[in-house]
Amino acid sequence: MNTKRFGFAGVFAAFALAVSTLVAPSASAATEIVVWADESRGPNLTKVIAAKGDWVAGYTVKVVTFSSFDALKDAFDKATDASGPDIVVGGNDWVPTGAKSGKLAPLVLTAAVKARFNPTQFLDLTYKGKLYGVPVDINNVAMIYNTKLVSSAPKTFGEMVSNYKSLKASKGLKAGLCIAGGGMSWGAHSVFSALGADAYQFNSRGGIVYGRTFSATTFGSNVRKYLMDGKKSNGFFPATDTGCKDNFLAGTVPYAVIGNWEWADYVAKGFTMNLMPVPGVTEGSYGHMFGSVSGALLTTFAAKHGTEAGAKSLLTNFFASTDGQVRYQAQEKRPPAEKGAQADATVTAAQRGFGSAASLAGIPQIGAFLNTNKGGANYWDSAPAYWTAVLIDGKDAVKEASKLASIWRVNVEAGKGDL
Amino acid sequence: MRASISPALLFSSTELGPMRMTYLIRGKVALLLKIIIVSLASAVLLMLTQSAFAQKEYVISAFLALTVLALALTYLTKISIPLKFFIPGILLLIAFVIGPILYTVTMSGFNYKTGNIISKEEAIIQVKARGIEADPSGISFDIKLGTLDGKEAILISDIANLRYFISTADSRIPVAVNDVTLNEYGVAITAPNFTILSDGQMAGADKSYSKVHFQYEGEYFIALEGFDAGIVSRQVLEYVPATDEFKNLLNGTVYRDNGRGNYALADDKTAILEPGWRAPIWFENYTKILTDPRVRGPLIRVFIWTVTFALLTVLTTFALGLLLALALNRPIFGRRIYRSILVLPYAMPSVMSILIWGGMFNTEFGAINTLFGSDIAWFSDPNFARVAVILVNLWLGFPYFYLISSGSLQAIPSELLEAAAIDGANPRQVFRKITLPLLLQILSPLLIASFAFNFNNFNLIYLLTGGGPRNELDGEIAGATDILISYTYKIAFGTGTQDLGLASAISLIIFVLVASISLYSLKKSKVLETFG
Repeated sequence: MNTKRFGFAGVFAAFALAVSTLVAPSASAATEIVVWADESRGPNLTKVIAAKGDWVAGYTVKVVTFSSFDALKDAFDKATDASGPDIVVGGNDWVPTGAKSGKLAPLVLTAAVKARFNPTQFLDLTYKGKLYGVPVDINNVAMIYNTKLVSSAPKTFGEMVSNYKSLKASKGLKAGLCIAGGGMSWGAHSVFSALGADAYQFNSRGGIVYGRTFSATTFGSNVRKYLMDGKKSNGFFPATDTGCKDNFLAGTVPYAVIGNWEWADYVAKGFTMNLMPVPGVTEGSYGHMFGSVSGALLTTFAAKHGTEAGAKSLLTNFFASTDGQVRYQAQEKRPPAEKGAQADATVTAAQRGFGSAASLAGIPQIGAFLNTNKGGANYWDSAPAYWTAVLIDGKDAVKEASKLASIWRVNVEAGKGDL
Repeated sequence: MRASISPALLFSSTELGPMRMTYLIRGKVALLLKIIIVSLASAVLLMLTQSAFAQKEYVISAFLALTVLALALTYLTKISIPLKFFIPGILLLIAFVIGPILYTVTMSGFNYKTGNIISKEEAIIQVKARGIEADPSGISFDIKLGTLDGKEAILISDIANLRYFISTADSRIPVAVNDVTLNEYGVAITAPNFTILSDGQMAGADKSYSKVHFQYEGEYFIALEGFDAGIVSRQVLEYVPATDEFKNLLNGTVYRDNGRGNYALADDKTAILEPGWRAPIWFENYTKILTDPRVRGPLIRVFIWTVTFALLTVLTTFALGLLLALALNRPIFGRRIYRSILVLPYAMPSVMSILIWGGMFNTEFGAINTLFGSDIAWFSDPNFARVAVILVNLWLGFPYFYLISSGSLQAIPSELLEAAAIDGANPRQVFRKITLPLLLQILSPLLIASFAFNFNNFNLIYLLTGGGPRNELDGEIAGATDILISYTYKIAFGTGTQDLGLASAISLIIFVLVASISLYSLKKSKVLETFG
């Protein structure tokens, strides 16, 4: 064979191989349900599912762990029919965009499964009247106080400010109350609310009130009274969450709002879980905190993989069951969403503490109102902007509160259609 | 020609001379090596081809297949010798430069955003699936999957009413309570003529059973919600292929293709069915840049700051780099140590440097305010934020200009400088009249490249200030330090809604702007003529 023919034979072989791979028969029917989760939930789900492998008869469950929650979101945004998961354990705020873009599939739960959860938890995972997943764990914040600095639970917001002012010099306090968990929007809602500014309003029957928002004058006046010293911040409430956790752990901040996912760090430093909601300006009132749930969300990829019924069975048999949530939360250590699991003896004091705080002053986190920017900015951007404008830039607390109220009112009205 | 070759010939080619080298390049061993290398490359590419094909990425798949063919034709035949050298570069240029540009151009003509991501065919399937409505009273049954006369069937247990029936896509057959076997939960597990699926069979049957609407009553059917539960449901939205529209079966309203990637009501354009699909809207994304006040408003301000930022960065980094290069161009004690130290900021990953600087500029805890005893709100005040951005970029950029200026200074003939000195020029005059003009001639392309790079310096802005500060309460979208590329990112990804079509249009405008400025500068500086 001469060189030229040899060369052409190589070309022919390569091309034939290319064609043959393209027409290769497809794989046999899928018997694996793929679940995607972040770096915390993924390993724990893997352990729990490996320990009891028969959650869905005939199927094995494969958990794919991503390096972070953001990496998981990024991967899910880019997922294709071939690469996408059957179930993704993600944030409730993924539901509107996932549903709009056709990545999440709706499901219907039986009355028996629904009864296992607080009905408001389904609001988080609902978009335009359809449910896209089952609640897995509760995300909320609560206020913790350092008993070495203050002896008892504060009854009012003003009491906390007074305590701060009296202890500031002698104890070298860096702040009075700060946000250690959840940031200056999500985590700080209980402070907004305690001073009179709720992101959305409820009527006495628990229904949402449209077309009305908080009183800018009341809220702005409270900010002036409790957080300002003339045109400057009085130092009680920092405008950013930078350094809050470290300062609290170091004993230089008496009150901090912490997230339920990080309580172990506080326990490790010797703090007891004396948790409560942020007290309001009058005794017996509390600032509302968002109580959101993370969900196990059904994807549209499941139907394409031929695993739709299996994935739905895994959602009800494992993710939405008492047994599944008890086993999982024994590893993950977040407050379980399912009622039976909440009542289980294995739930820790911290998990119960966050649960109690949530039951006193928790409100559902409604992404449809918080995510939209129809008012000029969404909740997540506008809330921290208020703290910056008033506490750092020294702008008028009432005037800025009017802008905030206007934005939130329009956003709630605009979000109504997405519920 | 010998069939074998000794290791000595392979590893000491410099001593062999041209004849032996030719032997290596053209011999059978060389041919065999070529085939092995091309085959390995082809194998990897074919694997990628198949993967792309499986994911329905047909353009990528076709390109990869053609690449395999091109590599084989180029390296296994004598079709063109120069092509053997150029083909890797050409293929990479197509894959990573021309391809993305064409894709961006294409996408800028589409309504491609959150809610309009998938294809129309897929959107129709999903709208149909979402057009199923569960019975308002929430009736659900325990079920078992099986077959009836070879057809897909479910055995349904209405435990509360002690009713049992077998349902297929066409029929519903009641089964007497005496004819079924119940498990410990009261769920029927056997019935006459009904063959229950084993656990192993259920997984294989998932796809087909999930699609079946099992008969119930009237318009209602039972849909699978897992292997154990069936929900009574009905189809509310029906797709009519002949007219390409969705019809609401309850109230008769009709949703038609609105030409923008959604089915919408004729008299209420906002009433759309989701999800939508990617639909061509031609130049609408470009006109939106001019007509949408939220996009257009801050664009000019952002553009001015982008040009200012890029110019100031080039000027400051070049000035400092040149100053240090001049200072260290003469023999001084410890010059090597100084040089090493000056290169350190360049050697450190810029991401780390930016984040460290971000911490140092922190108003409350930052080292800068602590050192100077100030309380400057670096990232809250627009002007201070801009100063911080320029300062950090100066730190990141001066070592590069120090290095290239040092090299360029060596290239200036010392005779010129000596002649000027003999003619009576003082050092300042020598620098201004000889050194600087010569340096600028040498460094012009690099200065222009630096300008183009900083025009799109997304990392610095994103990591240091996030484009801020901006006043969200006044509805500002662009921050004081936002440059065009970070502003585009905010529009595309910053509000929970990803508008990739609009982002593509803005990206292309940035591309044209940078290309025009760079070409103009190159032409003005006559650099291209020098390279002639």
